[in-house]
Amino acid sequence: MTRVVDIDDLDFAHAGADLPALEGVGLGVEAGEAVVLLGPSGAGKTTLLAILDGRLHGWTGRVSVLGRPLSPDAPPPAAARPDIGFIFQEFALVERSSVLRNVLNGRLGRMSTFAALLGRHSVHDLDVAHQAMADCGIGELTHRRVDSLSGGQRQRVAIARCLAQEPRLILADEPVSNLDPARAGEILTLITRAAAKRGATTIFSSHQPELALRVASRVVGMTVGRIAFDHPVGDVSEQEIAALYRNVAQDWPIEAELRLVQ
Amino acid sequence: MKRSGGWAGFLTGAVFAAIVLWSFATSDMELSRLLSAGPRIVEFLSRMMPPDPTVVTEIVDGTAETLRIAILGTLGAVILSVPLGLAASETMAPPVIHRSVRTLLALIRAIPLLLVAMLMVGAVGLGPMPGIIAVAFHATGMLGKFYAEAIDGVTRAPIEALESAGAGRLARLRHAIWPQMAPVVARDTIFRFELNLRESLILGIVGAGGIGFYIQTYVRSFQYDKAASVTLAVILLVIAIEGMNVALRRHFS
Ligand SMILES: Nc1ncnc2c1ncn2[C@@H]1O[C@H](COP(=O)(O)OP(=O)(O)O)[C@@H](O)[C@H]1O
Ligand SMILES: [Mg+2]
Repeated sequence: MTRVVDIDDLDFAHAGADLPALEGVGLGVEAGEAVVLLGPSGAGKTTLLAILDGRLHGWTGRVSVLGRPLSPDAPPPAAARPDIGFIFQEFALVERSSVLRNVLNGRLGRMSTFAALLGRHSVHDLDVAHQAMADCGIGELTHRRVDSLSGGQRQRVAIARCLAQEPRLILADEPVSNLDPARAGEILTLITRAAAKRGATTIFSSHQPELALRVASRVVGMTVGRIAFDHPVGDVSEQEIAALYRNVAQDWPIEAELRLVQ
Repeated sequence: MKRSGGWAGFLTGAVFAAIVLWSFATSDMELSRLLSAGPRIVEFLSRMMPPDPTVVTEIVDGTAETLRIAILGTLGAVILSVPLGLAASETMAPPVIHRSVRTLLALIRAIPLLLVAMLMVGAVGLGPMPGIIAVAFHATGMLGKFYAEAIDGVTRAPIEALESAGAGRLARLRHAIWPQMAPVVARDTIFRFELNLRESLILGIVGAGGIGFYIQTYVRSFQYDKAASVTLAVILLVIAIEGMNVALRRHFS
């Protein structure tokens, strides 16, 4: 069986940045896994996820997603994009639209240009959207405007939109960084359960190891653009995790110094 | 330093004094005329009294025509402003295009409405038609700029999220860009309509239709009592429009 994600020797530097954001990254993910990318701020987690989503270009190396090689300098064909779902750190919802409209927006990629423009959704679209909202516990909020919701409720709308897309791979960037620990645990469980129910593979990033280890099947540790370790969740040691954060200041210049010393 | 500062102050004062004296020299301001004008103004005003109420039909017709000029002029401005707004937006048009279109819109704004109306009366003749064209042209200078700002003020994140989900360009425009723009566009258009209505009141003075046309007609034919009625009507309309503006500001703030 082909891997869901296959990355080999990936290098990338943001435009204008002195140092690469990713260096020699290699990663293979099999169908049905729930992988967490652990690492301090600036480790390159967001960058890696955006490349997998086909939103960042100008990298070198080999990347394929769902059996399709990604182009290093162009977005994937539109037809391939609904298969990859993304849960954004800042939710990226249309604030003035209703919850249902936002969730249905996840269906637009699977519709004809004309139907998508007019928002003429099929009964199947509506079923998928309502199932996604039910799974996310926001069935009661269907007609509320997003700008009237709390942060936790918005997060659930963002997840429901992603699920409505019926993706085979779900990428989530720090999906719980804006929530308190109790809520964060609920949300991570929600994402991994919903993904498992749909047979989707999940890769999410986090800088809260305790929570992440409870729901992930595999842990990939990252520091300053490199993969430090990659283990099944049972084999990860506390020391390894502590090492990711040790000596790593939150600000960029000190990270840069560390890399020069290495 | 101190001395030169004093000199600069003296020079500025001298220049201002010269400008004011020059203004007096070029106009025929004379104290005697100003004094004798007093009784003449009183006489003029008394000829306006009492306002002639028989011009009610003219007032109603003129008001209706002013309203039509404002409505059609606004409609024309909206039609012109949609493509120009798109072309003037940083997010939709390349720098060469949006910079030149912005300059064009600024030039349009710089031309006074009454001047445009006079030129249009010359081009298409008396009546509401030149008024409508003038309002549409003049209002586009502002509305096109506001539409461009509405487009550029849209948050990028949800648009990128829909693109990542595979939504096409039109679907993104409809479901991510438009919901963010619509309230701003509606507000700007309504405020522009209010301005157009206000400005259309006096367009008739240069022959471009509307209630102002009657003021000009009656003053020219020395029917000051009728002109007074129309003037009163215009004042009431301005007050009504001002009330509408206050209500709109309350609604949109
Ligand atoms: N748009 C950008 N332009 C320049 N540098 C960037 C940009 N985004 C991220 N970086 C840099 O790339 C590195 C990796 O960032 P990121 O992928 O956001 O890390 P993480 O998500 O793990 O916090 C950091 O050094 C960061 O400063
Ligand atoms: Mg990040």
